[in-house]
Amino acid sequence: MLTLIEIIIRFLSIVAGAFIAGLIGSLTGLGGGTVLVPVLTLFYGIPIIYATGASLISTIATSAGSASAYAKEKIANIRLGVGLEVATTTGAIVGSLTAVFIYDHHLSWLIYVIFGFVLLGSLVPTIQRGKYEIPKMLKPDWTTRIFQLSGSYYDARLHKNVEYSGVRWWLGEIIMFFAGMISGLLGIGSGALKVLGMDWAINLPMKVTTTSSNFMIGITAATGSSIYWYAGYIQPFIAAATAIGVLIGAFLGAKILVRITNRSIRWIFFAILMFLGIQMVLKGFYIIRVILISPYVQFAISTVISIIAIVIMYHVMKKIEEKGEA
Amino acid sequence: MRFDRDLAISYALRVGVSISMFFIIFGVLLIFIKNGGSGFTLAQIASYNPQLKVNSRYIYLGLIPEGLVHLDGIFFIATGLWVLVFTPITSVIIALISFLLTKNRLYIALSIIVLFNLFFAMLVIPHI
Repeated sequence: MLTLIEIIIRFLSIVAGAFIAGLIGSLTGLGGGTVLVPVLTLFYGIPIIYATGASLISTIATSAGSASAYAKEKIANIRLGVGLEVATTTGAIVGSLTAVFIYDHHLSWLIYVIFGFVLLGSLVPTIQRGKYEIPKMLKPDWTTRIFQLSGSYYDARLHKNVEYSGVRWWLGEIIMFFAGMISGLLGIGSGALKVLGMDWAINLPMKVTTTSSNFMIGITAATGSSIYWYAGYIQPFIAAATAIGVLIGAFLGAKILVRITNRSIRWIFFAILMFLGIQMVLKGFYIIRVILISPYVQFAISTVISIIAIVIMYHVMKKIEEKGEA
Repeated sequence: MRFDRDLAISYALRVGVSISMFFIIFGVLLIFIKNGGSGFTLAQIASYNPQLKVNSRYIYLGLIPEGLVHLDGIFFIATGLWVLVFTPITSVIIALISFLLTKNRLYIALSIIVLFNLFFAMLVIPHI
């Protein structure tokens, strides 16, 4: 039996872990869940159903907390966000029902592995696009006008008004469906895919992408959360602790985000996500005994691989920077 | 005064999160003070064991009013979490209002679809 002191410490330690997750989630536009689920399962020993449940519902807090700040500054494009929510909410329904099916059939290792790969996969768009704060304008297409994809915002760092007009709304919508599905399946905000959809497909400036994605994450997560609720994935003690921690972290992250460059955001996400991603994949395979190395060795492997990758990344980025200045 | 959608959404999100946090924090204090809630001891609530059935499936929403009256911490947390779920929904409703005001037909339709999905997940799927 746990003593009162132990329970209080347990509660506060979850709050602390969630705080860090919320901070990183908000800085990257990913939502706290992407960091929270691995932290809860790997370091706290919380069963993955409760980790994803707590994560998904706390993601709403991250999203709402930071979206509140961004909406006021009018960087997030609400109209565009709502339009893309059509696909993310549909995806979230499909994804969370899939999660229910997977857990009912005792296939939770699959969630670990998918989670790990999604995490590592979310690094790809980061590596590919580190060069521009504001994308090269593409020629407006038919969707630009019909779906009203133009907008502008004031960039406090660049000290100017940035105008933009998005393209390929349909492609964004397709990616958003998968973003929603992943969100419901893994209990995360799935911000990386949302960012990919708006950044790569619709071609929006990074600031608009991250802030609009933050706004959308809450709506997607609300859809999945209600399905999770009835399935019994939300454990009140854990969810209460993570919601509080993630919110405080997200609030602080939003304050910081307005002041730092996009490049530093990408650095934080690359380093931590890499490690957590490898850990999740290894854990999934460990559960079904595909790999039999001890968790400590797994930890070491993930650490070494991520450090090497970060060092390589650092040099690549430096080169790109030098080229840009030359 | 002109209806400022972004400001209204910002405000709604902030209010929603504040109310939610009030209920959650108050609920947590209650389960610590009263050493449990909803028929579970504090140690059971703090356990991660799924077999104990301390989870949302066994927290009946219909019992929330009664639970709040009896100052049951679990129901305060549950209320807080549901307020959290409803918070982003209000932002879609505010967006819908702004589209209605500007007679933006396409986006009126799109936001209605989003709301439909949200309520479908909430009300229809649990009963299938």
